[in-house]
Amino acid sequence: MGEVLPGPVPAVERSRLAARRRRDRWVDLLLLLPGVGFLALFLVVPLAQVFLRSVGLALIGEAGHFTWDHYRQFWVEAQYRDGFFFSLWLGVASTVISLATALTFSALMQVRFPGRLVVSVLYKVPLVVPSLVAAFLILSLVAPGGILARLVAHWGWEWPRLVYDRWGWGIIFVLVWHNVPFMMVIISAVMAGIAQDINDAARNLGASPWEVFRFVTVPLSMPGVSAAALLVFIQVFGAFAVPSLMESAYPLALPVIMQTEMMDRANWALASALGSVLTIASAIVLFAYYRLVQGRESPAR
Amino acid sequence: MIGTRLFPGGSGPWLIAALFFGLTLIGLIVPMIVGVLWSLVNPRAGWFPPNLVPPSLSLDNWRAMFSVPEMGEAAVASFTIAPLVTALCAALALPTGFALGRRAVPFRRAIEFLVLAPIIMPGIVIATGLGSMFIRFGLAHTVLGVILVQTVVVLPFMIRIVTATFEAVPQDLIDAARNLGAGPLSLAWRVLIPLVVPGLFAGGVFTFIGSMEEFVLTFIVGSPHVRTLPVLLFAYLGGRSQIFTYAAVVTIVLLVPTIALLFTAERALKQEYLAAGLGKM
Repeated sequence: MGEVLPGPVPAVERSRLAARRRRDRWVDLLLLLPGVGFLALFLVVPLAQVFLRSVGLALIGEAGHFTWDHYRQFWVEAQYRDGFFFSLWLGVASTVISLATALTFSALMQVRFPGRLVVSVLYKVPLVVPSLVAAFLILSLVAPGGILARLVAHWGWEWPRLVYDRWGWGIIFVLVWHNVPFMMVIISAVMAGIAQDINDAARNLGASPWEVFRFVTVPLSMPGVSAAALLVFIQVFGAFAVPSLMESAYPLALPVIMQTEMMDRANWALASALGSVLTIASAIVLFAYYRLVQGRESPAR
Repeated sequence: MIGTRLFPGGSGPWLIAALFFGLTLIGLIVPMIVGVLWSLVNPRAGWFPPNLVPPSLSLDNWRAMFSVPEMGEAAVASFTIAPLVTALCAALALPTGFALGRRAVPFRRAIEFLVLAPIIMPGIVIATGLGSMFIRFGLAHTVLGVILVQTVVVLPFMIRIVTATFEAVPQDLIDAARNLGAGPLSLAWRVLIPLVVPGLFAGGVFTFIGSMEEFVLTFIVGSPHVRTLPVLLFAYLGGRSQIFTYAAVVTIVLLVPTIALLFTAERALKQEYLAAGLGKM
């Protein structure tokens, strides 16, 4: 910096500037301390502990020694591996179904239809419904002996098995119900920002409504869409409550296995290793997302 | 826009309305009615297939709210913890949000990533770390421990919303106040804080609802001694015997305040706050 200045800065002036800059740094630190300090203490420290413990270090009351055993156990024992893939399946299936639904609904919400205002308020209700409550509401609807099963039984039909099934369709159903409104909030905001001219131009050039949706609306909504999809995937991948209530006896979702290891067996080391696997897998997805978005965002906007 | 030309006959908007209202009916209204019915089932008569409506109704399950200790305690715990978490978040987020929104702080990217982390990290992983840490510190199974863990996961929303609000304050106003002789304290108290009240309110709605609904961390750190409504709901829905009647009561006690809050705060929960809280990554 010194070379750029036109003349030599008086020493007194310079030391006053430096003192002021130092004071500013202290003010920054003081202001940041409450929020950042809290997260450092109650987020960074425990997460560091999870990683350390997963390799055998920092155990309570025991001398720790470095080991990969817990990771080996994860990969060798089928129940843990299957749990990982089951969680992955729940994440992918819920994200894909929610995304397709939310995109369609958001596009339809751009149309002026009677009662649009009412719908635009009502569809946000699931945003504040806890996933456990969603599970209860859906269970009372679609479980064996639920209202729908009773209804179709009146006509002599049999209700298909939708909960406690091998592929977790009941879980996916609840998670989609819960996540579609969340995605719609983000995607609708992006879609509302697309200039009407672009749609008109595409239509004038002979595109069908489907083509406009597929080749104009969806690509232009990409920034919002990808962020929403990423958040939903990571949340479902690490979901505990809904899978725990609605899954079959085998396979169990990875977070459910972690909870059992922690609370029933007090095996914090294995739970930490499973948690690290979950975190690393999420981080890989996150990283891939940022690489993908970096290439795409500039032309889209 | 798109749909008006999908159905050239002009019936398009009506079809869309029918679709959305049909979905709302099946996906929202009917389940809510079934939930309310479950809470009113007469425990002596039950509600078994193939009955579409309970054979007889009573308020017995609602009386259980006061006679079954665990239910009353869970309600008290939830409604005590949520305001405390909200207040703690506001106190922590105000200075930090000001620094992030208005000052050139060092390591900005790293701090923003730290603030984003609890939103994207699986709760169960944070619970794994905090659970064992709190056992060592004697904070496990205490109300204070539950308040702290809930704050970890809802604080980011508050910080992000407050930061966005501070960013939107026009610099002119601050300069004008300074020119008129306002010191840092009266600037904060008379100018900045009144201007960020809407953001603080939106953030407060987020954190209150987030705290009421938080389950995984509360479950792992708090139970069995501290049980909030979602933890109790989990107990009634899981386990060997499901108690749908009590689950319905807990559901309604949990849902009515949060949905009422959503409707009263609809204006505060404008798109931009939702976007600040959830959207931009």
